[in-house]
Amino acid sequence: MAKEKGKKDTRPLMNMLHEVQERHGYISEHMLKQISVDQDIPIARLYGVVKFYTMFHTEPQGKYVIEICGSPSCVLNNGVRLEKFLENEIGAGIGETSKDGLFSLYKTSCIGCCDEAPAMLINGEPHTKMTVERLKLILKKLRDTEAAQAGEKKK
Amino acid sequence: MQILRQTKLEALEKARTLGPDGTIALIEKRGLEGRGGAAYPTAKKWKTCRDAPADERFVVCNADEGEPGTFKDKLIIRHNAETLVEGMLIAAYAVGAKRCFIYLRGEYDYLRPRLQEQVDDVLARAKMEGVTIEIVRGAGAYICGEATALLQSIMGFRGNAMCKPPNPTTHGLWGKPTVINNVETLACAAQAVLFDDWDSSLRLFSISGNVKNPGVYEFPLGVRMSTIIDVARPEKKLKAMSFGCFGGIMPVDENMSVTPETINMEKCQHGAYSIIFIDETNNVVDVAYSIAKFYTYESCGKCTPCREGTIRMLNLLKKVRTGKAVRKDLELMRELATHIQDTALCGLGQTCGNHILTSLQHFPKDYDAFMKKL
Repeated sequence: MAKEKGKKDTRPLMNMLHEVQERHGYISEHMLKQISVDQDIPIARLYGVVKFYTMFHTEPQGKYVIEICGSPSCVLNNGVRLEKFLENEIGAGIGETSKDGLFSLYKTSCIGCCDEAPAMLINGEPHTKMTVERLKLILKKLRDTEAAQAGEKKK
Repeated sequence: MQILRQTKLEALEKARTLGPDGTIALIEKRGLEGRGGAAYPTAKKWKTCRDAPADERFVVCNADEGEPGTFKDKLIIRHNAETLVEGMLIAAYAVGAKRCFIYLRGEYDYLRPRLQEQVDDVLARAKMEGVTIEIVRGAGAYICGEATALLQSIMGFRGNAMCKPPNPTTHGLWGKPTVINNVETLACAAQAVLFDDWDSSLRLFSISGNVKNPGVYEFPLGVRMSTIIDVARPEKKLKAMSFGCFGGIMPVDENMSVTPETINMEKCQHGAYSIIFIDETNNVVDVAYSIAKFYTYESCGKCTPCREGTIRMLNLLKKVRTGKAVRKDLELMRELATHIQDTALCGLGQTCGNHILTSLQHFPKDYDAFMKKL
């Protein structure tokens, strides 16, 4: 198994990458270069790691990242319908970000909410037993919050 | 539920009076087997790790519960994390490890703050000198549930599966002996050490799909299928059940007693006993299609048969579903699935054709419904 020199006492790289992404919304080239120097990891290897894991993004993301579960339990419980609805509603396909920069849409493998299917993660928080009606309400709430915040900034 | 019984650090205390060898012997006597799917005897794994010559050893809790339809580990992390952490400390004590890791899947990240609190709390109360537990955050790769890929991920690499042997038990993290146990196994280890009436035949079943009462249930091995169906309460007649994605799809037989042997007889694998029920209104080919999509997405890309083969299988299923397939395509699918199973390196590749093979075997009529009329 591959060994890494002098890495034994540092924090796991996975945790570091998560923290960078939480701070900046994505892992930019600039950040990658910095981690590469700080941690003494070749940038090519680091980029390979980031690109391997679907939850790491190297491009800016929407403010709300929506991940719809596409696994059998959710598919059997009308999950596909939600996917179609979301694509229409936010005007972006799977893997894309909406024009207003609010939502990024992804399809994910099972998120372990099969007993409350269909389910999805919005910024990592599970939303279960979803229906089109509930989804409409959630999207409205998020958009209203955004509009209110934008209004406050203007003042 | 037995899995929710709390050990309140008394199991660790008992393990300390028994000594490492005594603890392993007790686990062996209780008959604890790994609950991640492979059912490897836990005591044997611990002993191999303990006996491997090394200056440092590691304990890893595999909380990368990625198999679709499985959510039993989530229940344990939510409702009995203390016992899980205690199980890790017992494992660390038994094999002589200081540094422990919990590899928590990215999709469960919302459970992490609470889990971290409980880890800190148990560590403070257990007073085991020099023992640390770090939570490593996964990031959405199914393959990282596979032991060697998981270790790669902890060490900061791509989660590619590695050749075995050498086994992680003797050559794991940074080449040192490493015990990797599933969440349920570790929680059970603490309970098995403490409780004399601990029952080794009980298993957690994750039930989902076309049923009104999905959830995690505890049944003994050998339970009748009709009992499971009674609690799951399907609305319509059940046609098939899929064991996660990897275990294959088989018909529902109410009189069947659920044991690894009876499931294997239908060419399926029980894994972690995740059952996705499919009722008569659904076509099994559609479920096989969603499983095939899952595998194209989750193959780590290391071995050609799995990386390319999963895409080919998906394309063939697409052909079937659009009514363009002929008999020869089904034969091709069967051949392809068998080839991948024979030539892939890790568990993912070796099982990624199961849904094709078993659905072709058990549900030819579902395929017929899509076949091109000649």
